Amino acid sequence: MKAALGSCLLLAAAAGSAIAQQADAGHRWDLLVGHSYSSARALMQPATLTLEKVRGSPLYSVVDVGAVARGSVSARTWLEMGLRARAGSARPESQQVYGAMARAYRELDPVLLAVGGEYQTDGAFGTHALDATAELTPLGGLPGLGTWVSPDLHLRWRPWIGVAAGDGVVPYARLSADWVQGRLEAGVEETAWLVTGSGRSFVKGDVSLKLVEGIFLTASGELGRSPPTWENTGRIGLGLGFRLAP
Amino acid sequence: MKPRAPRRKDDRGHWWTGGGVERAVIRIVRRLSPGFARRKITRRTRLHDDLGWDEWYVLRVAKPVRSTLHEALDDRALLSLRTVGDLVDRVWNAMDAPA
Repeated sequence: MKAALGSCLLLAAAAGSAIAQQADAGHRWDLLVGHSYSSARALMQPATLTLEKVRGSPLYSVVDVGAVARGSVSARTWLEMGLRARAGSARPESQQVYGAMARAYRELDPVLLAVGGEYQTDGAFGTHALDATAELTPLGGLPGLGTWVSPDLHLRWRPWIGVAAGDGVVPYARLSADWVQGRLEAGVEETAWLVTGSGRSFVKGDVSLKLVEGIFLTASGELGRSPPTWENTGRIGLGLGFRLAP
Repeated sequence: MKPRAPRRKDDRGHWWTGGGVERAVIRIVRRLSPGFARRKITRRTRLHDDLGWDEWYVLRVAKPVRSTLHEALDDRALLSLRTVGDLVDRVWNAMDAPA
């Protein structure tokens, strides 16, 4: 529950400062809050707080939240710094993830390059991972890549390839897809890593119904192995989603 | 006598009117959104909600804006654009007004 409270505080503080920054038309930094900062797709997926109550047991929580502050370095380069939590009392400590990162982007049309560093730990603070990452995505150029397939089919996708260097060098690929129809949004994101010669993957998806601007009813699910522990996980949840973008 | 439309100069010294900048920007956006009807793209068209551009796709306007309108826009500022009109205004504001 401590983790959930901490995440809520992060979320509330982020929302407060974002509103304050949005009031200033000349601001140099933007603040975004979403499911996680692990990718653009994850940031656009609503952050969720789910409370679960089973008779005879205490109230459990599941939290997925990430916040990113973004500012310019030069006309074609910008920086992001962020915090994220995949936590809550309903998740075992080994499946909880806390992270902090700094990432620099460089637009090299036709591709975008992102280089960064990330620290991740589990809920027991027993496993630590410090990685440097470099990843690339094409800005567009194929049907549905970064933009809707057609005016009638609101489906888009985006691939990333990258390499993480920390405890060894781990190449990875990520593919995300979004579908939007009116107040309904659905998305799926799969990441696959090549760790010491064997493949590991993690897929997460969500279906969200927009209640009011920035607030959603969200069903989400995840399956697979993800860093830092690579423990096999799988869950489905329903909760309230929250997203903030400038 | 009809008053002359205000003009501004791009980084190569070419003069533009507000209407000229708007037409050029709409042409760029239309080229990046194949399938969308020509008259559906106006100043009020929303880049994310109406055209479906994701966060990174919007960066594709930077290169044609540099080559056609001769203005280098800040990429990070492009990420927070909402409408075609915002992009038109961003380019217009980047141009030099006559002294």
